[in-house]
Amino acid sequence: MFQYDFMQHAFIAGTLVALMCGVIGVFVIARSLSFIAHTFSHIGFAGASFAVYVGMDPLGGLLLFTLLSALGIGQLGVKMFRRDASVSVVLSLFLGLGILFLSLSDKQANFTETILFGSVVGIDMQDVWQIVGLTAAVILILAAGYRWLKFDSFDQIGAEAAGLPIRWISIGFLLLMALAVSVTVQIVGALLVFALMTVPAAAARCFSQSIFGMIVISSILAVLGVWFGLSMSFYTNAPVSFFITSFEAAAYFIGIAYRYWLARRRVPGYQR
Amino acid sequence: MLRHIRVNDLQVSFNGEEILNHVSFDVAGGEMFAIIGPNGAGKSTLLKVILGLIKPLGGKVSFENDNRKTVIGYVPQSRTIDEETPILAKDFVSLGLPARAVPWLSARERVTVQKAMMMTECLHLADKPIGKLSGGERQRIFIAQAMVRQPDVLLLDESTANLDPNAQEQMMQLVQRLCRKHGITVIFISHDLHVVKEYADRVLFMSRGHYEIGNSDEVLNGKATEWLYHATDEEKPKTIGLFREPAGQLTDHLF
Ligand SMILES: Nc1ncnc2c1ncn2[C@@H]1O[C@H](COP(=O)(O)OP(=O)(O)OP(=O)(O)O)[C@@H](O)[C@H]1O
Ligand SMILES: [Mg+2]
Repeated sequence: MFQYDFMQHAFIAGTLVALMCGVIGVFVIARSLSFIAHTFSHIGFAGASFAVYVGMDPLGGLLLFTLLSALGIGQLGVKMFRRDASVSVVLSLFLGLGILFLSLSDKQANFTETILFGSVVGIDMQDVWQIVGLTAAVILILAAGYRWLKFDSFDQIGAEAAGLPIRWISIGFLLLMALAVSVTVQIVGALLVFALMTVPAAAARCFSQSIFGMIVISSILAVLGVWFGLSMSFYTNAPVSFFITSFEAAAYFIGIAYRYWLARRRVPGYQR
Repeated sequence: MLRHIRVNDLQVSFNGEEILNHVSFDVAGGEMFAIIGPNGAGKSTLLKVILGLIKPLGGKVSFENDNRKTVIGYVPQSRTIDEETPILAKDFVSLGLPARAVPWLSARERVTVQKAMMMTECLHLADKPIGKLSGGERQRIFIAQAMVRQPDVLLLDESTANLDPNAQEQMMQLVQRLCRKHGITVIFISHDLHVVKEYADRVLFMSRGHYEIGNSDEVLNGKATEWLYHATDEEKPKTIGLFREPAGQLTDHLF
């Protein structure tokens, strides 16, 4: 399948996106932001539709909308948006807006499917470079800010006590998440950003007791899922996202079963 | 070396309500200093002001330190650690290290973490997930996290709350060793008057707007216990009146 350019592109882009999602997902879970990630993807959908309507590049619209809302949410405080009511209001509002922009623009059908469900066949070399740039930026920033982010994510009271600028960390992380979501939407679609951004990390939590271990396992699961999805989709013609979600869900359930089994065995050092 | 912490005329209000009302006192370097007082008296607030987390409306806290900027280690009153928190005790301790823009720990930093855990006698817990530790074990890890910055001062906000008497004793002995052997100044809050009596060099008693300071025998006696824990709200104002007497005559007039 690698004789096709579009498959090569899809593998490069998919692998990078998966790596990024695997890493950032661990913090998304630790900071209980999964539903905000989900909301971002819908805001991104509205942004992309808006971009198409006004004739911009969809990625530009995605970034514009998600980054602005990251700032907004950061200003108002994440706590407010953890409430499910706020999430559902914002999420449905932007889904509605997206639909409006789509109906206003002419080239709907194809684009709608791409942005909602993702697509890997249409990735050209220019997209690949964009994705390389954005994922590299996210991963580098995560690496540089790792210690601050780790402290704030896993021991916020301690971080505040130690004088860390927790507000800026929170806003910075939301911005990174907005970037990450914008890139990911292009691959798995707005509806399934969850599949790469939170499920692998949630599964990794079952297999490892350390943050570093979780990051490694979560990235591996995300990358394997994307490879599995791309290959299966190539040979069966069923959608990529379906295979990715199935793979990650399977990893998660195996993780749960593994924990259950561990607990039954009472491994020393792990009482549950 | 830290010579003195001077707390001078602090005022703090929340929503117009005065919490700290012109409080002044000194803590000497190397001292074990206790703060007691009823719930809501402003003890935690006072620690946060010393730490610089809360800016006072008036007054200031100054540190007289010989050779460097004073480093403060602080163990907050409550920390919710989810049982499922996927973080090993040693990683939790290492969170307290001064942050650098690289993800990994240097060999030197690893040694610092190990030393801090040795000093707080929790090295044997290093590879256990923090969520699975008992309350007493967690407190040691928390103190280790504060120690990892090699502080001159430790601020402990009710670190012995929820511990059984034996664990409480062990914890305080540990803190005392940190103070006596390593010269760390300790300011601790406790509701346990036995602990305060046994371990504190001096005690600050505070209750909204009223402050008394002295050695533990001066500030504490059987009646103080009674006042702290049994007085009803109606009784308090008149009892507080006694605390207003100038310090020094305090013990003669108390109760
Ligand atoms: N950030 C805040 N905003 C508003 N009010 C506050 C804030 N922090 C503390 N307070 C109020 O200040 C008062 C003192 O609180 P503080 O936590 O200092 O009490 P405390 O002496 O530590 O009590 P406890 O023994 O229960 O820990 C309380 O009435 C509390 O409601
Ligand atoms: Mg308190």
